[in-house]
Amino acid sequence: MSMAQFRPTDTVDFIVIGIGAAGGVMAKELATSGFRVVALEQGPWRHEKDFKHDEVAVMFRAGLTNNPKKQLNTFRKTPSDPAQQQQAVEYGCMVGGGSVHFTTNYWRFHPEDFRERSVFGPVPGADLRDWPITYDDLEPYYTKAEWDLGISGLGGSNPFDGPRSKPYPLPPMPVKSSGVLFERGAKKLGLHPFPAPLAIISEQYRGRPACVHCGYCEAFGCEVGAKSSTLAALIPAAVKTGRCEVRPNSYVRKIETGKDGRVTGAIYFDTDGREVFQRAKAVVVCANGAETPRLLLMSKSNAFPEGLGNSDGNVGKYLMFDSGGFAFGLFEHPLNEYKSVVVTRVLHDYYRSDPKRGFYGGGGIDGRFDYYPAGFALAGMPLDGPQWGSEWKREIGQYYTHMSGTLAHASCLAVEQNSISLDDKVKDAWGLPAMRVTFKNHPDDLKAADFLMERQKEILLAAGAKKVWADPTTLGEITYSRHLMGSCRMGDDPKTSVVNKWNRVHDVPNLYLVDGSSLVTCARQQPTATIQALAYRLSDNIRRGASL
Amino acid sequence: MKISRREWVLAAACWAEVLRAQSSQSDQLIWFNPADAAEIKAIAVQIIPDDDTPGAGTAGVIWFIDRSLAGYDQDKQELYKRGVAETQAKRAELFPGSTSIASLSNDQQIALLKAIEKTDFFQQVRLHAILGFFGQPIGLKLVGVQHQMHYEPPFGYYDGEVARSGSK
Repeated sequence: MSMAQFRPTDTVDFIVIGIGAAGGVMAKELATSGFRVVALEQGPWRHEKDFKHDEVAVMFRAGLTNNPKKQLNTFRKTPSDPAQQQQAVEYGCMVGGGSVHFTTNYWRFHPEDFRERSVFGPVPGADLRDWPITYDDLEPYYTKAEWDLGISGLGGSNPFDGPRSKPYPLPPMPVKSSGVLFERGAKKLGLHPFPAPLAIISEQYRGRPACVHCGYCEAFGCEVGAKSSTLAALIPAAVKTGRCEVRPNSYVRKIETGKDGRVTGAIYFDTDGREVFQRAKAVVVCANGAETPRLLLMSKSNAFPEGLGNSDGNVGKYLMFDSGGFAFGLFEHPLNEYKSVVVTRVLHDYYRSDPKRGFYGGGGIDGRFDYYPAGFALAGMPLDGPQWGSEWKREIGQYYTHMSGTLAHASCLAVEQNSISLDDKVKDAWGLPAMRVTFKNHPDDLKAADFLMERQKEILLAAGAKKVWADPTTLGEITYSRHLMGSCRMGDDPKTSVVNKWNRVHDVPNLYLVDGSSLVTCARQQPTATIQALAYRLSDNIRRGASL
Repeated sequence: MKISRREWVLAAACWAEVLRAQSSQSDQLIWFNPADAAEIKAIAVQIIPDDDTPGAGTAGVIWFIDRSLAGYDQDKQELYKRGVAETQAKRAELFPGSTSIASLSNDQQIALLKAIEKTDFFQQVRLHAILGFFGQPIGLKLVGVQHQMHYEPPFGYYDGEVARSGSK
């Protein structure tokens, strides 16, 4: 069946704004349940044939991500600092969104992540809260996501994971040298490494071919459809229903609200820059943890003069970023880490917050070396050596294939002043207020990252590295993030949260938000599995008859 | 200044453009004048020398920089103009009587670049030279990448060792 085509004057059942990790789930689940859906996506609709191994285009020209030259944002550390034009957020900008270009670590949050406030108590200077839902509420939807998308892993291999109702649908990817060394070092230290759960299919699955180990996973789109993006795994099924129309290159500027306080549709600029108003009975915003709050703040109306969902001023607040540093090791023999997937071994031994350390937080650590050649030449060599010239050039040739690394995925506390707001001066290329990002790490974030860095070096040394060093540019206060979380958080109390435990905006009965913005805590990063589980849970609830 | 991991994703340019420029046998510069192009090329070749393996000269990096400045990196044109002028002033100060960067001796060029290596201009040329070189097959070869669309395990020595011994 060809793709549905609706007229803007047709009142469809749902508009999904942003068809990425969460929006792809929503579009597919709603359309296959019989609802009529229009998905508005600011980026283009690329396919496998459009993806290339061109590091410069993808990594240095925003080939698959938001364009900083058109989608300007400003940044400041605190509200008392002047906001400067400086890119602070990066996200996948295309049909499939971040699920197309992400590295594919697919971790479930731990049961304790949903009630850390109860377990550890308050943290001064932060607003650590329990979620209004538990791991048990979400477990069936983690399982649904893993089976629907196609996740490779070994259930039960991580002793710190919560209980699971089903194994992973696919066996883990073959271990790489980085994984062998990580496991060797970790086991010497008495730790518990396990095969990485990845959104990449290790075997043929539901008509999609297995991974060919080409090595271009992180930041790139998969050329064979083996990465379990919503683009490859879900959106074709949504379109096939004949009830879902995907409109790429559609830049939404406002969600419209009627006199009764219900949303009536969305206004967007189409491919040719024309303004279109699409009507709908309900709207689901899945535009990510930075663009979702921005859109709500731009959607001012008589009913909601401060923006949608913002009656208590919570929209945009408690933004969380991806924390954690890189440690590198140089080994005797070639690892050839440029081949195959990025991560094959992970450990969660330091994940849990331990009051004895004197700070909140912890992290997961994975074994990886994810530099592509140009990025490595720019910033990958140890800083105590030359950075250009003949000696540098000779050393690069020796280091690139003989290095491994570890990356920490560390806690980041919710702090009220860390936020997305509208800049009062700078405009984007569409004439809309630029996104203003305010972010400064809580001191405990930095302590956790430093603590993990020492553990990362221990693992590399125990694995037999000849030389071990930290990348100092990945430590210290963060001013840039690819994980955008917590800016419209979930809660039972409308005074302190934006959506209720069903991802519905507290004071708007037909407006739903589901993406990184819903997260109450960021656990230890790697939010995609949780974001998608929330989307499956929301769509299940809608299917069960939630009133629109 | 070192370009951080978080910053390098923000940089710019596309090597497909230089490959097109080279393959069309076109030697027309778009943005540089020939004199400045020779100076920038001399700097790029010191950053990635043509020594026992190919460097920035062989790789045609100057074409990549020219196309970048005419296209995606138009906002870096002023930095180049100012940087070339300041580097010429530094050259004249360090080596009175010299006439160009390109005509300095090898040691003189290295001394000049060490004197300016912390400037935004040098870091921008370094970024462009690296993208133009390591973004294309010649650079992949230098770092030991045998580029294919498909690999089979074992990928490296240590996973091969496990496969050979059947244990860890």
